[in-house]
Amino acid sequence: MHLAQLIIPLLILFIIAYGLMKKVAVYEEFVEGGKEGFATAVKIIPYLVAMLFAIAMFRASGAMELLISIIAPVFSILGIPAEVLPMALVRPLTGSGSVGVLAELIQTHGADSIIVKIAATMFGSTETTLYVLAVYFGAINISKTRYAIKAGLIADFSGFIAAVIVCSLIFS
Amino acid sequence: MLNYLWAGMIILSVVSALGFDINDERVNKFENGKIYTADYVDTNLDDQGMVNIAGQTLYFSLIKTGSQSLVINVSEKLAENWQQIAKHQSAKNKQKLIAQLSNINTHKKQISFILPEVHWVKMNAVTAAAFDMASFAVKLAIGLAGIMALWLGLMRIAEKSGLIQYFVRLIYPALRWLFPNIDKDHPVLGSISLNMAANMLGLGNAATPMGIKAMQQLQEINKTKDRASDEMCMFLAINTSSVQLLPPVTLIALMGVGVSELLLPIILATSVSTVAAIVSVKMYIRSGKQ
Repeated sequence: MHLAQLIIPLLILFIIAYGLMKKVAVYEEFVEGGKEGFATAVKIIPYLVAMLFAIAMFRASGAMELLISIIAPVFSILGIPAEVLPMALVRPLTGSGSVGVLAELIQTHGADSIIVKIAATMFGSTETTLYVLAVYFGAINISKTRYAIKAGLIADFSGFIAAVIVCSLIFS
Repeated sequence: MLNYLWAGMIILSVVSALGFDINDERVNKFENGKIYTADYVDTNLDDQGMVNIAGQTLYFSLIKTGSQSLVINVSEKLAENWQQIAKHQSAKNKQKLIAQLSNINTHKKQISFILPEVHWVKMNAVTAAAFDMASFAVKLAIGLAGIMALWLGLMRIAEKSGLIQYFVRLIYPALRWLFPNIDKDHPVLGSISLNMAANMLGLGNAATPMGIKAMQQLQEINKTKDRASDEMCMFLAINTSSVQLLPPVTLIALMGVGVSELLLPIILATSVSTVAAIVSVKMYIRSGKQ
């Protein structure tokens, strides 16, 4: 597990050393490649603002709790613990928000509970879909996203169901 | 879809915030305008009174009545709606709740005080959240600028030295199946494969710059520039489902959850979500939907 921490420095070393070996002007090329970074970051700002402020409003307004209280009964019919529902709803929206949800679940249910295990699996197995969408499509000014969101959310949903099933099979 | 999702979130936020606030107003949750009375005792000090409120001993001056106030320390012991009033009163100083003294009756040894009025809690929270996040988004983007420059710089070196091309040749069979319409020698395949590799290794901050680079190269071969191509949708879906062989376990571990036993469930679940992403995009492409 600890080896994971070595990947980045070794990768940097390998790229630079291999570049030198192939007689690449490493410093000049690095600067040349890096130039795009700033312009791209500025370009995505409006897209990020649009996405993040709407999500922040949604979380602050209590609309999320309302939604959870509506969906929770459906979850319990399916045999899924309703406590993991906030994670399923928050995960596609915000990364920091889902860390908060996980921390909260650990506090209330304990790190060894099945609920925390399911939620942590959900957390680890998908990405912040709307953030990725805002950044990637924002960088190239795509406004017509077609079916991209639907496909992303279908993927999230399948991952969540898989997390519930796999965890229940393994841990109980 | 994005339009409806986005607008829906905003409309739902404001409507439900308004609903919660109107309900609070109806039941007068914060007891606005209520005059609290409490018995006090004289202290030995000149012209000072001592009163017990919310489990705290508070002192106040007996001379002037007009605009005196009681400063109540906010702690967990305080009633919940009092805590909320304190939070609402001042965002900067959440530790103190300031109550106005309205009357001091020196005969009965009683004081009366009023807590600050509280209205539209959720609506205020929604406003604050919107502005906070708007400025946070800029910080996030600026932070990304540096990381992007670093990884794109390294990528350029790897490209010039032929490292990337070598890597692409290695995983080309998979790439050809996912992106059948992209030319074998197109540089975008390099960015895509690096992004996927970074995702699998759990290198989140390397994956994003490479993903953005890949999107930019996909845009070069896109026919309608404001509309996502099938390749873009496929690439985005794979990224949002993020196949991870080394999942972001460090964070989970930091929170005290046993990670080693979660590795298998995470890898299984993330594989399911990625397969679902690929299959659903393939189906959308086959249906020929514009």
